[in-house]
Amino acid sequence: MTGNAASAVLGRSTFVDQLVTHAFRTHLAPAFAHGMSVLAVGGYGRRELFPYSDVDLLLLVDKEVQGDTQREALSAFLRSMWDKGLRLSQSVRTVAECCQFDQSNVELSISLIDQRFLIGDHDLYDLLAAKLPKFFRSNRTNLIKHLIKLTNQRHAKFHDTIYHLEPNIKETPGGMRDLQVVNWLNRLRSSDADVDSSLREAREFLSAIRCKLHYKTGRDSNILTFDLQEELAEDAASWMREYYRHARDIHRCAKRQMEASEQISEGGLAKQFREWRSRLSNADFTVSRDRVFFRAPQQIASDPALVLRLFEFVARHGIRLSLEAERRVRDHKLYLEEYFASSRPLWQTLKSLLLLPNAALALRAMHETGLLQIIIPVWEQIECLVVRDFYHRYTVDEHTLVTLEYLEELKATKDAGRRRFRELLGETQDLPLLFMALIFHDLGKSDGMEGHAVASARVAERVLDRMQMPESERRTVLFLIEHHLDLSAIMNSRDLNDPTTASELAARVETLENLKLLALMTYSDISAVNPDAMTPWRLEQLWRTYIVGYRELTRDLDTERIHVPTKDEKATFLEGFPTRYLRTHTEDQIRQHMQLKQVADENGVAMSLQRHNGVFTLTVVTRDRPNLFAALAGTISSFGMNILKAEAFANQKGDVLDTFSFSDPMRTLELNPAESDRLKSMIRRAVLGKEDVQRLLRGRAKPAAPSKRAEVRPTVAFDGEASESATLVEIVAEDRPGLLYDLASTISSAGCSIDVVLIDTEAHKALDVFYITKDGAKLTPDLHDDLRSQILVVCNN
Amino acid sequence: MKKIEAIVQPFKLEEVKEALKAIGIDGMTITEVRGHGRQKGHKEVYRGQEYNVDLLPKVKIEMVVPTARSEEVIRTLAAAARTGNIGDGKIFTYDVAEAIRIRNEDRGESAL
Repeated sequence: MTGNAASAVLGRSTFVDQLVTHAFRTHLAPAFAHGMSVLAVGGYGRRELFPYSDVDLLLLVDKEVQGDTQREALSAFLRSMWDKGLRLSQSVRTVAECCQFDQSNVELSISLIDQRFLIGDHDLYDLLAAKLPKFFRSNRTNLIKHLIKLTNQRHAKFHDTIYHLEPNIKETPGGMRDLQVVNWLNRLRSSDADVDSSLREAREFLSAIRCKLHYKTGRDSNILTFDLQEELAEDAASWMREYYRHARDIHRCAKRQMEASEQISEGGLAKQFREWRSRLSNADFTVSRDRVFFRAPQQIASDPALVLRLFEFVARHGIRLSLEAERRVRDHKLYLEEYFASSRPLWQTLKSLLLLPNAALALRAMHETGLLQIIIPVWEQIECLVVRDFYHRYTVDEHTLVTLEYLEELKATKDAGRRRFRELLGETQDLPLLFMALIFHDLGKSDGMEGHAVASARVAERVLDRMQMPESERRTVLFLIEHHLDLSAIMNSRDLNDPTTASELAARVETLENLKLLALMTYSDISAVNPDAMTPWRLEQLWRTYIVGYRELTRDLDTERIHVPTKDEKATFLEGFPTRYLRTHTEDQIRQHMQLKQVADENGVAMSLQRHNGVFTLTVVTRDRPNLFAALAGTISSFGMNILKAEAFANQKGDVLDTFSFSDPMRTLELNPAESDRLKSMIRRAVLGKEDVQRLLRGRAKPAAPSKRAEVRPTVAFDGEASESATLVEIVAEDRPGLLYDLASTISSAGCSIDVVLIDTEAHKALDVFYITKDGAKLTPDLHDDLRSQILVVCNN
Repeated sequence: MKKIEAIVQPFKLEEVKEALKAIGIDGMTITEVRGHGRQKGHKEVYRGQEYNVDLLPKVKIEMVVPTARSEEVIRTLAAAARTGNIGDGKIFTYDVAEAIRIRNEDRGESAL
């Protein structure tokens, strides 16, 4: 019975018809001259009886069954069917009962969609047959609503995914029940769409499996266990891949039917929201009923970039594609393949898409329309790829898409354990690189699990090259892919208290940014293995691993100085900078800094001002002098700029490299190009001591404080242990314009010199760490209290 | 029969499993747990803010072995889990009244 499941289920159905007819004649006909007919409903009504499926019967009566003769006849009828080995599931109803909507038994109404007359009082049946269409019409909204609710409940029981390693082929999303839902909804809506033929292949595939399962187990068992997979298929893994492809088609179709049907049963508020959203329509796309449509789909052929704009729209507004738009993209596969086959600067477009709030949704839509595979042809190799272990719940492509979703969800998490990772996410500028790394991280699995991280990186390199991703970004992405298992390995098998664990981790990740990205990547990767994989236990272990690396990369390295024995230009420049400098800067940045140093050697000061993602970065290289850092911070603030991050490094020869990242809340620099030059010349004067920064800052209005609840109570902590040669002052305070200037000048005027500064802000909170010395040594503890109270005074200003 | 319950450092799990396998002990239950003993946990400072780390991740290993083997198992387990530092964990043993294999109701040591 390998070939033709359809004939098997039809055959059994015909056979049962004969049994029922015979039993009716023997037992029921003598007691019911009229007023009783037998109907097949549910799967039996559709003539789909799998070898061990229940047989659903409706015994239609004109009035309630009365008297011992009739009751006895009825039990004899049922008994005889049981004795034949059939599992009956019967109900006895009048016509009126059938045509009554009962909220607690929607299944009965739905089973009537597939009713079929078997034997008995035909006039009685005709009565029902005449009334049913009107019943379905007038209760359509209710029936659809309940059917969707039941389906959603069933899907939720299976975590809303088709990708179960041991699926129940009847009940899981994408199973046979979903096929029926598609048909029911289609018929309830009296739609003439031919959904059935598009799913014929899937139906046949599932039917064949279900028959085999029943034969193998000898009962109505629909779970495709590992053992049965091995028994039923020669190559279980690729056979399951085929299963997932079919299940995916069915599941998608069911989802669409449900979406289309929901519009019929939807209330006023939701409608209003949708209409509001339709105002997002633009020159390329319209939004209607919360779905995106092309305005002029025929333009895809001449302007394939229109498709990219479509997904950009999805990423920006979080609105799904209409079926129509999905189909249009798929229909233009050939055009798109040709367009994307040549190397083009796709990365710039993709990068801006990945910065938008619903990037993961857009990537999933790209996957579903096949565009992801067109852009990244190797993606096909992991489509529906099964990894047979007991941890992964999903196929490789689904796992990958789920990692993206976990990363995106993190942006808004309120969960206490995850909030720490959300903060990391807020600190990184490289979210698009992280998304890219996740997309590629498991592509190498198509060649087997062993060493897949390296294989994935190799695959990614070629694709990223074609997208024209710049070298420095490419390096980060490849690094992340290649090392995506490192943190897991460390947290599971290394002693986190062992100093060598920390130093090895730091050496491997090289920079703090890499460590943050890797921690976020590991978070997403583990979370997407299965819904229970990221236990609080693992979350804690991962965080501890991050902290171990963070400590190593920041603390010790701030005072430990670089010493390179060779004497080339770079070595001379680096000599004496804190090791941290190397850890926090890329090769490109170091090269730029060296060029600045050359200029500074000639002119006394050199600087560069760059704008990236709306944030300005000012780098200043000069000779150290007292109060320099404060002067720079003050000058920047005097232009109304909001300092987000700052770093100060000094080497032992007295060269200083200070970097400030700031936002421009009043758009001063953007709207007045001349202001950039004025800022630079003011900085130059401040560095050379020609400008009174105090005077510049006077007269700048204080911005409105945030609400009381958001207020930050300032704290100042001294740490004399963390560094070998300097005292750490950690300050947490409410951020305000000029704060950094005030802090730095307070420290300077206390006679302390600032070795290293690390400044960060989170919303209204400033996190500032100063490494300070006095007369070349750590501060003696008796100085702490005095300095603390001075600092607290400026924090509270 | 003895039930042996050990709380060990997560990174020692593989070593412990290998060591037990080497002396022929395959069956065990492993749970990821969090807790603290005399080690108590500590405060961690991250960017100027203190975090209480009072519950540390640990791994709990449970197994039931014939009484005659329990000392050997305990010695092996302790040796494999030891680093010599605070926080290495603890081993507890209990007497087991009966073991029953559900499949065929085998009883006693043959059910282990």
